[in-house]
Amino acid sequence: MVNLQTSWEVRTLSQRASEALAGGQLGLTTGYLFAGLAGLAVFLAAMALVLVYAERKIAAHFQCRLGPMRVGWHGILQSVADSLKLLLKEDIVPTDADRFLHVLAPFMSLLAAILVLVMLPMSPALQVADVNIGVLYVTAVSGLGALGILLGGWSSNNKWSLLGAMRAGAQIISYEVSATLSLLVVVLFSGTLQLSKIVQSQADGWWIWRAPGVGLLAFAIYLIASVAEINRTPFDISEGESELTAGFHTEYSGMRFAFFFLAEFINMFVVSALAATLFLGGWMPFHIGGLATFNAAMDLIPPGAWFAAKSAFLIFVIMWFRWTFPRLRIDQLMRLEWKILLPIGFVNLFLAAMAVLFGFYFFPVQ
Amino acid sequence: MIWSKATGTLLFYLFAVVSVALAIATVSSRRILRAAVYLMGVLAVTAGFYLLLGAPFLAGVQILVYVGGIVVLIVYVVMLTRSSDLAEDKPSAARKSTALLAALASFVLAVTVFKSSESAFRGAGSQAATMLIDDTAMIGRALLDRGPRGYVLPFELVSLLLLAVVIGGITLARKIQVDQSAAPKESSDGGVANA
Repeated sequence: MVNLQTSWEVRTLSQRASEALAGGQLGLTTGYLFAGLAGLAVFLAAMALVLVYAERKIAAHFQCRLGPMRVGWHGILQSVADSLKLLLKEDIVPTDADRFLHVLAPFMSLLAAILVLVMLPMSPALQVADVNIGVLYVTAVSGLGALGILLGGWSSNNKWSLLGAMRAGAQIISYEVSATLSLLVVVLFSGTLQLSKIVQSQADGWWIWRAPGVGLLAFAIYLIASVAEINRTPFDISEGESELTAGFHTEYSGMRFAFFFLAEFINMFVVSALAATLFLGGWMPFHIGGLATFNAAMDLIPPGAWFAAKSAFLIFVIMWFRWTFPRLRIDQLMRLEWKILLPIGFVNLFLAAMAVLFGFYFFPVQ
Repeated sequence: MIWSKATGTLLFYLFAVVSVALAIATVSSRRILRAAVYLMGVLAVTAGFYLLLGAPFLAGVQILVYVGGIVVLIVYVVMLTRSSDLAEDKPSAARKSTALLAALASFVLAVTVFKSSESAFRGAGSQAATMLIDDTAMIGRALLDRGPRGYVLPFELVSLLLLAVVIGGITLARKIQVDQSAAPKESSDGGVANA
């Protein structure tokens, strides 16, 4: 029998790079750094292509349509063609716009998404960097994305953009509170902020069911709040096309529009991946206590595939939301957060603290 | 080890130059929203300093509170009150000199504090800093410790202050709402908010 606990030791890319640096192998260090950067860039582009295609196909099938069918087999090259078109488009900055901020804003949105992406533990062997304040870092950096949207809307000097940005800002600031409160539940149970350690703490069971009740509730709150944070339907009032043309990115075109677009899709992946990491065991395989054969069979599936499958499932759920719920009005949105989600979140955090204090959860650590 | 030390020094000077440049840009920019963006840069670089000092938790909190919270709120408030072509008035000479005097005074104060506590920075302080590396749990225990080296009293005082601020904010927001809707309800609503 292979001892699985030892084979789940996490080695991040930055760790390997610093080991090579300490060993004086400068070539290897630059190799690792370059691999990290190039890998991220390729991953970003590929992820965006796949997600745009998936979104269009899923939307189409929900509406009994076929979606893109012409370019490639079942339209599989459609998003490649679309991104080529975006690259070739003219890049327009409005005359009265604040040029500096107009150019800066899409980069900030994309930067926030990438900075979180760097921390995601995709598999024991595949994680770019791993800091011991992981959860705090993730919540902190996602604030940058809000700033990108606010600045983009402001600097366009367009009332639709400004209104869209204000709505997005109010929404992101509000829902951040609930999302953070539900993340804290998992931090309480696992006793660490480090993302890879949170994954490792779920070897005996995922926190969504190991924490009785509170885990499930925290997961639900996190999913709702983070869908609101990434401005997706039913919380997409910041770009509600029937009222605001396109919201904060009305005045963006070409590459800069593509950056906002890319950030939005990467954020969807990041949110799903974080939910999978914190509540669904990340790259941990699915185990049922006592069924040794079943568990061994599950272990045959590589951890990276588990992570990808869990994230893909949550992405599908978020896309499913879009075609199930109508868009909320701004006052309904604020009521949902401050009068419903926030009180539930506080009570849930309190109950979770009690559960941790009395060891009232499955497979206590000590 | 030589490498990491050199990188640390290099990063410190890089952060220092960027920080000072952004700080000057913050106070000299006449477009108020750009000033807010430069301020965000200063605050983010400060988080970099905390990282260099081996306090990653403090760096995270710095980004979370200042960049994600305060700067976003500043930008939000500017967006509510001003239009984009409006720039700040050119400050008068009196205002400029007062600002310069205030800045000089705080610089002198900072240098004096640093000089008088230099031994602490070199001796026990640096030891404490290296001990605190990677230990978020230790900060948490110290904050809730009731012993002689604990900080539970300041911690609770800060919570009390924040609670007062939250109640104050709600009271301010409620009054406007009451004035607009119905006058007779004012006394009862105001009473609830004050209690």
